[in-house]
Amino acid sequence: MSAHWSAGPPRDVAVPPGEFAVSPPEFADPTPSLADRQAELVAALVTGASDPAGFDRSRLDATRQALLRKRAGEAAQHWPLLAASLGPDWAPTFARVHAGHPSLGPLCDGWDVARTLRGRGELTSGAAGELDEADSRLFYDGQGVPRPHRTARLRRWFRRG
Amino acid sequence: MAELLHGAGIGWRPEIAGVVAHLPALRFCEVIAEALAPATPPRGVAELRERGVAVIPHGVRLSLGGAEPLLAARVTHLAACAAAVGAPLVSEHVSFVRAGGREAGHLLPLPRTREALDVLTANVRRTQSELDVPLALEPIAALFDWPENEFTEPDFLTELLERTGALLLLDVANVHANAVNRGQDARAVIDRMPLDRVAYLHMAGGAERDGLYHDTHTDPVPEPVMALLRHAVSRMPGPPAVMLERDGSYPPAAQLEAEFTAVATTAGHSRESGPTCERVAL
Repeated sequence: MSAHWSAGPPRDVAVPPGEFAVSPPEFADPTPSLADRQAELVAALVTGASDPAGFDRSRLDATRQALLRKRAGEAAQHWPLLAASLGPDWAPTFARVHAGHPSLGPLCDGWDVARTLRGRGELTSGAAGELDEADSRLFYDGQGVPRPHRTARLRRWFRRG
Repeated sequence: MAELLHGAGIGWRPEIAGVVAHLPALRFCEVIAEALAPATPPRGVAELRERGVAVIPHGVRLSLGGAEPLLAARVTHLAACAAAVGAPLVSEHVSFVRAGGREAGHLLPLPRTREALDVLTANVRRTQSELDVPLALEPIAALFDWPENEFTEPDFLTELLERTGALLLLDVANVHANAVNRGQDARAVIDRMPLDRVAYLHMAGGAERDGLYHDTHTDPVPEPVMALLRHAVSRMPGPPAVMLERDGSYPPAAQLEAEFTAVATTAGHSRESGPTCERVAL
């Protein structure tokens, strides 16, 4: 363990500057808990938060890329025409759109990519049709889980009634 | 240790259900627990079960190494899956998948510390308390290590299995991946693993990218992983139960069958050791 891990609440233990404190048992452990460290790590891997102390940055970068590739593969199953329209550029394009952004699930992940490309005028007609079909089926505000359009919900409500 | 599983198996996935149904000498399959509805298992899985192929629910999202409390519903689901398919055992990972209210989206490594051992031990015991069958734990492949490690991976696993009585699901490809990425000798790592606790082995494909070995499950099993399987088998008293995992970029049926057969024969199983033949013999 190294000194910069002790960043956190101020301690009462006198520590010479630059040295790591090995706390005697009567003092509270100054190191972050496992729960804190795990939360820091997940945040760094999926939200773009800064890397927790002590980790090899290049290995965390490789892990971030691997997580994005896995997400791209899962999203491709929901958006086959979109993914096929990009071919080998699917995973890199997906990573550029989603790096630092946590997933709302593979359906939303692909939806975000489709909308980004439409905004740039880069959707092929097949992929545009796939996006139109999704937009007509469900309402997705880019923030939360897609849900049926209000008219569809009302229709169902009336049918039930 | 009484053997719970025999012969060769495969990770059952809906995309390859047709190929799996016709694999020669298939003795068991794994089903992702989170994708299984206990009341309505997929028809392909039910048919295999009726043919005497053992079905093992394989959890991927329990987060046994998570410092936050286990989700009770996930434990209950795993137990329900085991009961629904009459599983001889279930398996999960030595990892965590969420923290601080966020999902990582994949299995993440744990620090090999006493604190993490305590968390794992409590979570494993909690899970075992709801299961009617043994639990096997699988060490994962990781691209990074925590800086605070206090144990080697074999020592950490040995301690965990001693504390919990859990079995080992040893993924040979994961050992290869970690050894390459840590600059270690994979055979020496295998030699120090608690091989007497092995319930079954995993085999999978991967690929090197920018100097790191990625356990992709979408590539063929490379020769060094097959060689490591031969080494692991040489350290065990008899041919261990072994299964192939494939999770995408599925090859043509003949290629998948050839890879399954190569894994089975490398582990010491012949093509004739399927349950159908046993039934005929009875």
